[in-house]
Amino acid sequence: MLRAVGLVKSYRAPSGAPIRVLAGVDLSVKPGELVVVTGPSGSGKSTLLNVLGLLEDGDGGDVWFEDARVSALGRGAKSRARGGYVGFLFQSFLLLPSLTALENVLLAARYVGRAGPATRRRALDLMAEVGVADRQDHFPPQLSGGEQQRVAFCRAVLNDPPLLLADEPTGSLDDANGAVILAAIRGRARAGAAVVVVSHRPEAAVGAGMVYRLRDGALESP
Amino acid sequence: MLRGYLFTVLGIAIGVAGLVALGAMSERIVRFIEGGDRFVLGQISVAGRGMGMGTGFTAGGLLPASAIRAIAAVPGVAGVQPQVMLPLNPSTSQFMTLTQELVLGFDLSVPMPNRHYRSLPVRAGRFLLEGDRRVAVLGAAFAASRGLGVGSRLTLEGESYEVVGVLDRMLTAPDRFVMVPIADARAQWVAKDALLRTVLASGAMALTAADLNTGAAVGWRDGEDPDAVALRIRERVPAVNVQLPSELSQLLQSSTAFFSALLAGIGVLAFVIGGLSLANTVAAAVFERIRDFGVKRALGASDLQLGREVLGEALAVTLVGGVAGIALALALGWVIDGYVAGSNQQLFHFSPRLLGGALAFSVLLGTAAAAYATARVVSVSPAEAIRRSS
Repeated sequence: MLRAVGLVKSYRAPSGAPIRVLAGVDLSVKPGELVVVTGPSGSGKSTLLNVLGLLEDGDGGDVWFEDARVSALGRGAKSRARGGYVGFLFQSFLLLPSLTALENVLLAARYVGRAGPATRRRALDLMAEVGVADRQDHFPPQLSGGEQQRVAFCRAVLNDPPLLLADEPTGSLDDANGAVILAAIRGRARAGAAVVVVSHRPEAAVGAGMVYRLRDGALESP
Repeated sequence: MLRGYLFTVLGIAIGVAGLVALGAMSERIVRFIEGGDRFVLGQISVAGRGMGMGTGFTAGGLLPASAIRAIAAVPGVAGVQPQVMLPLNPSTSQFMTLTQELVLGFDLSVPMPNRHYRSLPVRAGRFLLEGDRRVAVLGAAFAASRGLGVGSRLTLEGESYEVVGVLDRMLTAPDRFVMVPIADARAQWVAKDALLRTVLASGAMALTAADLNTGAAVGWRDGEDPDAVALRIRERVPAVNVQLPSELSQLLQSSTAFFSALLAGIGVLAFVIGGLSLANTVAAAVFERIRDFGVKRALGASDLQLGREVLGEALAVTLVGGVAGIALALALGWVIDGYVAGSNQQLFHFSPRLLGGALAFSVLLGTAAAAYATARVVSVSPAEAIRRSS
């Protein structure tokens, strides 16, 4: 489902010196596979996920979704590819504060032309599955961190994307809520999605098909 | 759709209110100057030669009945209406001012010769009729400043007058006029002017009531050039001051040049201050949502979809903010004009062209600012947009 070949990415330090974050990363994730990437803070885990999800361009290398070399696409096509293939889960939830929980979930359908009564029903079903259906009319500031991440999870999977990318999804949660989210993520993999989770928490690796460590810009198998 | 935009709407409303309020002050001055210009271009103003009481536009002396007849006989003249124009308060009559309160007496046996003011717009009651005595029609500001209306009584030079009409607000000189039949105005003139009383009592001059005119409004026949008719009067009638309409218009323009420059400055200020405030508010509202844009792009939104969404929101927000700003400016103008009405002033004129223009300007500028800000925001990657907000 997801294939990355030779990904390279550098940033500029305030002094102007280049800092190489990804130095030729290769990664392949099959449908139904859960891959966990660990590594210390600042090692480039989030950058790897951003490049894999087309949220930013790498300096070199290619990303493939199925048979399509999506890293070579233009801006519009990349937007369509993100909407059609990828669901994102972020550490800081990134819910829109001006929308209710349900509206936040439905936002995922708005840009891929799937808005409608059936999508609304599916959104409510998903919210019921993770226990936030009764919070559908609440705004993000009115929700706890755990509830916000559950809503964010529903948004990430509403379109049933074949690829789920989760960036420290339990980083802002207590153990109980973290366990709920990790269980939901594993459920997506069991349902056939390719899943990549970056996390520094060991429990994230439970049930993973493959665990990598990102060090010096390269992925290592432990 | 407008949820979360309260402060943006307030910011826009304040910008638009500033724009409209300054624009309304500018409109007020424009209407004043335009009204005066329209008046002087609608008639030839004639006065007797001399310094006289320094009243009215012509600042002349006595214009006797013989001169009126001589003017009426000049080829091209369509009608001559004798008039008496007096300062309500003689102590302020030393200079011709555009804002002083005047008593204006009309000879109603002659139709109004002014081509642009065949009749004056009456808001309540009626205008003067031939044969009226001891009645008055008041300018709107004059009536408002004294709380007078139709049926009220007004004392002028010790005589009581019944108010039979109040004019519409014209935003120019007649707003401060008291209009009376010419016979009453002549009586007031005699009562005000000790020198005139002495002359009349001495019998040194053979004056009748019909000779007591401070000036006359002269009309011209269709197809005649008013300046040419005025020059003809100047040539053929001795001892009169004749103002060419174009000369008087030019004089008015030059005497109001300061106001014209002032209103141009106010207009520019209104556009710059109001426009910058509005554009800044809208652009800031878009920039501060950079994280939302990043999230939406992560969810698959294209630049076009985001652009459409933002422009739609900007349109709605600037429309609501614009309407709120106009309401705010109207309220501000109403309060301030209410406060200065006691001193016979009006500072604001909210014309439909100003309100419509301000709304269109705010919507266009707000949309342009939103488009610019959106283009800037979508030029960064979704990841960068999300990072910048954290």
